Amino acid sequence: MIELYRIWKQYQKPHWALSDITFKAEPGDFWFVTGPSGSGKTTLLKIIYREIRPTSGQIIINGRNILRIPDHKIYQLRRRMGIVFQDFKLLFHKKVFDNVAVVLQVLGVAQKEIRRRVFQALRMVNLHHKMWEYPSQLSYGEQQRVAIARAVVNQPQIILADEPTGNLDPELAFEIMSLFKEINSQGATVIICTHDRELIRHFGEKILFLYKGKILRKEIL
Amino acid sequence: MQAVFFLNSDISPKARQEIEKKLAASATVKKFHYVSPEEAAARFKDKFPELSRVVDSLGFNPFPPSIEVTFSKKSLSSAQVEKLLSTIQSIPGVEEVQYNLEWVDRVQAFGRLITAIGFFLGGILILASFFIISNVIKLNVLSRKDEIDILRLVGASNFFIRVPFVLEGMTLGLIGGLASLLLLFLTIQLLPLYVGTSLGALTELIRFRYLTSSQSLLLVASGIFIGFLGSLSSVSRLLREE
Repeated sequence: MIELYRIWKQYQKPHWALSDITFKAEPGDFWFVTGPSGSGKTTLLKIIYREIRPTSGQIIINGRNILRIPDHKIYQLRRRMGIVFQDFKLLFHKKVFDNVAVVLQVLGVAQKEIRRRVFQALRMVNLHHKMWEYPSQLSYGEQQRVAIARAVVNQPQIILADEPTGNLDPELAFEIMSLFKEINSQGATVIICTHDRELIRHFGEKILFLYKGKILRKEIL
Repeated sequence: MQAVFFLNSDISPKARQEIEKKLAASATVKKFHYVSPEEAAARFKDKFPELSRVVDSLGFNPFPPSIEVTFSKKSLSSAQVEKLLSTIQSIPGVEEVQYNLEWVDRVQAFGRLITAIGFFLGGILILASFFIISNVIKLNVLSRKDEIDILRLVGASNFFIRVPFVLEGMTLGLIGGLASLLLLFLTIQLLPLYVGTSLGALTELIRFRYLTSSQSLLLVASGIFIGFLGSLSSVSRLLREE
């Protein structure tokens, strides 16, 4: 369960990137966070995986206040999350396989198991045939799918995705979304930031509308 | 270190025996050698061949008999040697002792100074290598900052991130240690050839010697340890600053 209580975030005075956000995602929820550029979607996600700290407010994940986790132990939180970053954050000097495998390597998973799971994850995003290429040899959309494979390879409890289909054609975007749905049906909490209305219309169950850092409305369909 | 006792030409065999007995009994003496006037003359002619005719023309041998004493290295402390010297000097027939205690003191002080300078330079070099290694690692960490950020975001612990950098630092230390052993070996092999005989007695005094195997091992181990500390400190500092 992810609970945000009265989150405020200010990067620079006098503007508030987030104002008084209170929001709860139950286990197994599938949330879309939407809103125009600059509405605070990415900031909200960054606060959940604690890349940044809010100016005030509390965040409880699975009963634990994550703002109280010391910096050197924050990896324990992130190991339970799969994150798709807006800029992908791929390791460009490493092959596709290694980019996905790194998540399992940091956990100390056996090499044979790593090979099996990485292959499986890459097959899900239809990139298993490009396993031994470098990210720079892939198209933008393909790079995005590598980032998605990396986020799901560990079968995390929480998936956070920032515009995960932003560079994909509608067909592939639907496929990827179905993939997130499938992982969600296995019990993972999924939070996806997007401004793709078509996707929201098709897959939306719970939608959080942000505007200028404030919650405009919540919709539960 | 040597001393020479010059004896009277007409010293009795008994007195000579007494001196030799005393020298043989002393723990500070490593070896001694009686130089007869004939041997002294022969040595002189050998060393200064152009003056050999002068000796011949004298018609008699001007060189007195003498005893050359070599003291053991450990007994260089002046007090012990001085005591032996005065005992022997009091034996009739001993004319003169050629031995400069002050010089010994100075040599010893010089030796201590060299040792101190050695330690000082060693300390500076250890510090320098520590900073060089930690800076090399720091540059490396900075150049791979993006990668480190990504690793942290996908759940890598600080330990996981640190290990490759620390291993790199230790490898640098190992290479440094081995390189210094090689340089030391070459110096010891080549320096005496380069300096040659010009240093004369000084080479005897300095006596270049190679490190023992345990000292070599210690040197390499220290290199690795400094590499370990240097890299660990720089990686940890940069990870903390994040």
